[in-house]
Amino acid sequence: MTAALELIGVTSGYGSSPVVHGVSLQIAPGEILALVGKNGMGKSSLLKTILAFLPVWDGAVRIDGRDVTRFPPHRKRALGLAYAPQEQALFQDLSVRDNLRLGLADDRSFEARLADVSGWFPVLTARLSQRAGTLSGGEQKMLIVARGLIAEPRLFLMDEVTEGLQPSVVDRLADVLATTRRERGTAMLVVEQHLPFVLGLADRFAVFKRGEVVDAGPVDAGSAARIDEHMRL
Amino acid sequence: MPDLATVHDVTAPTPLSSSSRPLLRVAIAALVAAAAIVAGPFVLDTYTVNILVRAFFVAIAALTVDVLWGVSGTLTFGQSAFFGIGGYALAIVFTQFGFGPGEAMLAIGAAVGATVVVAGLVGWLSFYPGSTPLYASVISLVLPIVLVQILYSGGTFTGSSSGLVGFESFDLTLEAWFRLSGLAVIATLVATTIALRSDAGRVLGAMRDNDERCSYLGIDTARVRIGLLVVAAVIAALAGFGYVGFGAVAAPENAGFVFGTQLVVMVALGGRGSLIGAVIGAVVIEVASAYLSSSLPFVWELIVGVAFVAVIVVLPGGLLGGLRDIGRAVRRRGAAASAPVMLRTLEQPDAAPERDAIVVEVSGLSKHFGSLSVLSKISFTARQGELVSLVGPNGAGKTTLIRCLADGRERSEGSVRIAGHSIERLPADRIVGLGLGRKFQAASVFETLSVADCLRVARVRRERPSFLKTSPVLTLPAAARAVVESSGLVERLGDEAQFLSHGLKQALELAMVLALEPKVLLLDEPTAGLTRAERQGFAEILTGLVARERLCVLIIEHDLDFVRLISSRIIVLHQGRIALDGSVADVVDAPLVREIYTGRSASDGCGVTP
Repeated sequence: MTAALELIGVTSGYGSSPVVHGVSLQIAPGEILALVGKNGMGKSSLLKTILAFLPVWDGAVRIDGRDVTRFPPHRKRALGLAYAPQEQALFQDLSVRDNLRLGLADDRSFEARLADVSGWFPVLTARLSQRAGTLSGGEQKMLIVARGLIAEPRLFLMDEVTEGLQPSVVDRLADVLATTRRERGTAMLVVEQHLPFVLGLADRFAVFKRGEVVDAGPVDAGSAARIDEHMRL
Repeated sequence: MPDLATVHDVTAPTPLSSSSRPLLRVAIAALVAAAAIVAGPFVLDTYTVNILVRAFFVAIAALTVDVLWGVSGTLTFGQSAFFGIGGYALAIVFTQFGFGPGEAMLAIGAAVGATVVVAGLVGWLSFYPGSTPLYASVISLVLPIVLVQILYSGGTFTGSSSGLVGFESFDLTLEAWFRLSGLAVIATLVATTIALRSDAGRVLGAMRDNDERCSYLGIDTARVRIGLLVVAAVIAALAGFGYVGFGAVAAPENAGFVFGTQLVVMVALGGRGSLIGAVIGAVVIEVASAYLSSSLPFVWELIVGVAFVAVIVVLPGGLLGGLRDIGRAVRRRGAAASAPVMLRTLEQPDAAPERDAIVVEVSGLSKHFGSLSVLSKISFTARQGELVSLVGPNGAGKTTLIRCLADGRERSEGSVRIAGHSIERLPADRIVGLGLGRKFQAASVFETLSVADCLRVARVRRERPSFLKTSPVLTLPAAARAVVESSGLVERLGDEAQFLSHGLKQALELAMVLALEPKVLLLDEPTAGLTRAERQGFAEILTGLVARERLCVLIIEHDLDFVRLISSRIIVLHQGRIALDGSVADVVDAPLVREIYTGRSASDGCGVTP
């Protein structure tokens, strides 16, 4: 089967200093991969490279078997890629409704898709006409995730989406993501510090260290301890 | 943890050179340029010398635009007005009273005095609390238009649309004017370079990057901006004074907004923010315009315009930026080498362990947005040596509460006392002065400043910075230094903050806030995005601070295990009210917390992390 996402020896960085060193990994359709590791190891930079916000210096990026290494971000999005960035990335002066609408390429299906959002995060649908900038930090996070999911992506990249969410919403989010994957076969790459959340969700994990994958494997009972070991070193 | 009370120096491993070298380079360049200016009249023809004198005075005005726009981030079209005020002060005084040494002094006094008054007023209007940078730009555009209207309606006093001519001015030879104006450009350039590189000058770059963070480091940014505008305006006025003194013609065009816009174009062409680029841009445009306008009288403006667009498209950094890129490519060197930084611990008396005064006193605090009530009737107190966690569902009003404590203009009702002082309606920078430090939810640092410079800006309120010197020593309170060392920031002191990872930015902001030596520390989800090991380290730092320095810490946090580990007390906010306030044991397992927050039953455990 063709992988939803395949990286082959990808290297990238800022200015003249490389941050991601020859990373190769694969995510099958409907598979969830947890990307974990200490801060400053290049996890967010890897996501930005996949999305083409950082140029690929070397190697190749394939989506559904197609070489998209040189595609600009908007063309990748058209292939069914969605991204929930870590930094607050909302249109602060637009309403919650307009922010969600911008997640869709086709505006006409918006009202129908809105029903999904109210199932995921009722608090958002209660505030549709409020300016996104006036939402609390946690609510903004929910909006970022909802904006990505509303497009029914084939591949969803998430960067620290549980940050600032109350525990019950983190549980809800895990349910939402698991259901989405089950029902729509969405592949996901989840960068996360919240290990219980991400290990509860993912099929496989990869540990990132200094721009390289240093350990990887299926998620099982021993994974948490194995990852902890890497985080301490 | 190392013994924090001892003073020991660490020199961070930053690349290259001693800190005196850049200044030496400036001095050599200035001497070479001065020699060229002195020799200039011997090799240049009279026409060129004539044009260059005017170009030099214009270059000084362009330099002030670069400082305001390129360095401090305020785009201004109004420096032409001050240039005009200086020129007209001379023209009016010499027309009315004739020329003489006394009259010359009067003219200078009038030029400076009028400029200070107008610039002070314009600055106050532009940087009034709550104004935006765009607002300041619009006012700068209005100023020259109004001034030109006044000049037009001034009759024979201002010469109306034809300006003032035929007055007697300074009797200097062309060569003397050339040397005077040329040396004035060099002197202004050198003085500005030194001042901007100094410890005090760094604040301007910090304000451009992040005005809000500056306020929350106790810097009155409006006052700094007004002061800077007044100084820049006086320099522009003196340039105008020289310009009109040389030509003995004062024309309304020299005060108009077209000229003001040209100054901006000169800066953009030469390279914004580089200072010398402004001078190069001004001289190139003035000289090219002079030659082209005589040989191609109708198309020269078009040619200058096309050249400008071409330069901006091909070299977005301006002429100088382009040269610098080439130089960098040739030398194959990455970021500019920064001076080494010597870390030193501030000597502080140990806080008495029994200190437990009430330092936060909130009573009846409410916050409404229109009819929406976000906080209602919040009352609580907190003491020194207490670590109070604020927990509650997303949207409960936690961040709003922090904002109401840190900025006197935020709350709708109620009173807040910090360290015994009522905060009234004080702006954030004044409340920092009462002993409050606030760390934002999303890391808020100065992106284009180095890590060391970010920390230095945080010390500005405590240590009057020098306008002349750049200190290689970075003195930090023990707490801030502990964060810098334990987080690994110590190895990145010379790097720009924008290249730091998320976790390191959070640590940097915390260190900056601790550098204020606060009595009360407000932390908004400081551990978000940190690994468990990092959280552990952070918990140790926090509990250490509370125990050793008797800090009062208010922290918003979602991780209940972390809260349990560090807190002496927990306040639960729910729908804008205090739902619970009590000890850790009382609150964490309360049924209400389970119901509204964790959404799990007690047997599952309440924490996020197992």
